Amino acid sequence: MQNDLSYENVTMRFEGRSGAVQALERFDFQVSSSEFLVIVGPSGCGKSTLLHLTAGLYKPPTGRILLGGSEIREPGPDKAIVFQNFSLFPWKTVHDNIEFGLRINGIPAAEREEQIKRVIRLIGLDGFENHYPRQLSGGMQQRVAIARSFVLKPRTLLMDEPFAALDAQNRQIMQEELVRIWQTQRPTVLFITHSVEEAVFLADRVIVMTRRPGRVKEVIDITQITGENHWRSDPFDEVIRRAEFQDVRSRIWGLVKSEISVRN
Amino acid sequence: MNGAGRNNSLARAMLGTISVGSVLIAWWLATSLELVKPLILPPPADVWVGFLDIWHGYLNVPFWNHFLASISVMLGGYAMAIAIGVPLGIFMAWNRAVDWVVGPLLQILRPIPPPAWIPLAILWFGIGYAGKIFIVFIAAAVPCILNSYLAIKQTPPELLSSARSLGAKPHTLLFEVAIPSGLPTIMTGLRIALGIAWASIVAAELVVSLAGFGFLIMNGYRNLESNIVFVGMAAVALLGLLMNLVFLRIERALLPWREDQDNG
Ligand SMILES: Nc1ncnc2c1ncn2[C@@H]1O[C@H](COP(=O)(O)OP(=O)(O)O)[C@@H](O)[C@H]1O
Ligand SMILES: [Mg+2]
Repeated sequence: MQNDLSYENVTMRFEGRSGAVQALERFDFQVSSSEFLVIVGPSGCGKSTLLHLTAGLYKPPTGRILLGGSEIREPGPDKAIVFQNFSLFPWKTVHDNIEFGLRINGIPAAEREEQIKRVIRLIGLDGFENHYPRQLSGGMQQRVAIARSFVLKPRTLLMDEPFAALDAQNRQIMQEELVRIWQTQRPTVLFITHSVEEAVFLADRVIVMTRRPGRVKEVIDITQITGENHWRSDPFDEVIRRAEFQDVRSRIWGLVKSEISVRN
Repeated sequence: MNGAGRNNSLARAMLGTISVGSVLIAWWLATSLELVKPLILPPPADVWVGFLDIWHGYLNVPFWNHFLASISVMLGGYAMAIAIGVPLGIFMAWNRAVDWVVGPLLQILRPIPPPAWIPLAILWFGIGYAGKIFIVFIAAAVPCILNSYLAIKQTPPELLSSARSLGAKPHTLLFEVAIPSGLPTIMTGLRIALGIAWASIVAAELVVSLAGFGFLIMNGYRNLESNIVFVGMAAVALLGLLMNLVFLRIERALLPWREDQDNG
C-alpha cells in the first residue's frame, strides 16, 4: 500500500477570543511512503496543528492533505497519533489499553489476544499486562501508547514530542526502541521534537519550520549524509560523537535559532 | 517517608482523641458540677437512660421503626436522585442542546434550599412517604447533576483525540472514554449527595412525621426531654458517619486504578 503523505497548500487558523491565529500558511510538502520525517521549529509555529490535521482531528479550511492519494477527512486507526503525555486510559490495564482499538474496530477476540501478545513482546512489557498506567514509569507508559497505536497497523504514525517527558537515559532507550519497532512495519512517521539531536539521529529527512504562521523553512536530507546504512541503527551515544553528525546538528540548530531570535 | 507517614497518622489519632475526649470530659464536668440545667445540657447518665428508652421503644415505637422510616425514605429519594441526576448531568455535558434547554431551569431552582421545598412537598404529595422522598430527591439531585456534568466536561481532550484516532465513534467516546474518565468525579458527587440526602430526610421529619430520627428529636423537644434530643442527634451523626465510610469502601473497590499507588 502506498502511504505517502501530500500536503497541498494547507492553511489553518484558529478563531479565539483575542482574535484569529494563523497557525499554518500555505504548507506544501511531500512525504514518501515509509519515510521517517522529523519536524523541528520554534514553539507555537504550528507543528502540533500539522499533526492534528494529518490525523484528521481538524479539517483545514483551505488546502488538502492526501494519504496514499486520497484526502484525509476524518480520524481513524490508519492514522495513529501518540502524544507527549502518553494519553493512556488510566482506568484500563496495559492489556485493555492495547485491546481498545482492536475491539472497537471489530477484531474478533481470539485474534485480539494474539495481536496483543505479539505487540507486548515487541515492546518488552511481558508480565505487565495487568498493570495500570499509574504503576508504570514514563518510558513504559510511552511504550504502551506506541503499542496501542502500532497494533492497529497504521499507515502513518504521528508522534508529537513523544519522548519530551522522559529523562535523558530513558529518552535514548526509547529512541533506539522506536527505530526497532518501526522497522517491523515501516509506517510513514511524522515525528515532532524539540531536540535537534533526536531529529538528526532518527530522521530520513528533517523539516525546519518557520515561526508562526508555520511554513517549510528548510529540508535537510539525512540519508544523503548517512547513505544506505542509516546511523539510527547504531547506538545513540556512539553516533552523536561522529563529526558528520555534529556538523548537521549544528547546521539545523542554527536554522532553528534564527527563527526563534527573529522574533525579538 | 514511611516513618514520617506513620508519625503523622499517630499524631492525628492522638489529637483527634484529645479533642473529642476533652469535649466529653467538659460535658461530664459541666453537668455533674451542676453548672448548667439538665434541660439545657442533660448529664451523660440521662442520655444513656434516653438511649435505653429509645432502644426499648420510646412512646411504644420500636427503635428499628425509626431506623427503617428514616433510612428507607432516604434511600428511595437518593436512588431517584442518582437515577435521574447522573444521566441528566452527563447528557447536559455531552449535548449542548440539552444543556441549553435544561441549564436555565436548574439555575433558577438551584438557589432554593431543600427545606424551603417542604411546604410544597406536603401540598403536592401529602405527609406520607412521597412528600419526604421528594424532598430528599430535590436535595440529593443537585450534586449528582453538577458533578456528573463537571466529570464529563473535564475529560482530558487528548484522551478523546487518542480514542478518535484509534477509531472511536461518538457513542464509544461517551460510554468508553468520557464516562469512565469522569467516574471518580461522579462518585464524589454521589458521596456528597448521600450526606445531603441524610441531612434532608432528618430535616423533613422534623417538620412532619410519625417515625424516624427527626421525629424522635422533635418529640424529645416537645416533651422537654433534652436527653431524647441528644440521642436522636447522636444517632443521626453516627449513622451519617457510617454511611460515608461504607461509601468510601465502595468507591475504592470500584476505582482500583486510582487507589493502587504501589509500584509493583
Ligand atoms: N485549539 C486551538 N485553539 C486556538 N488556538 C490554537 C489551538 N491549537 C493551537 N492554537 C494556536 O496555534 C498556534 C500553533 O500551535 P501548535 O500547533 O500547538 O504549535 P507547536 O506545536 O508548534 O508548538 C499557537 O499560536 C497556538 O496558540
Ligand atoms: Mg506542540
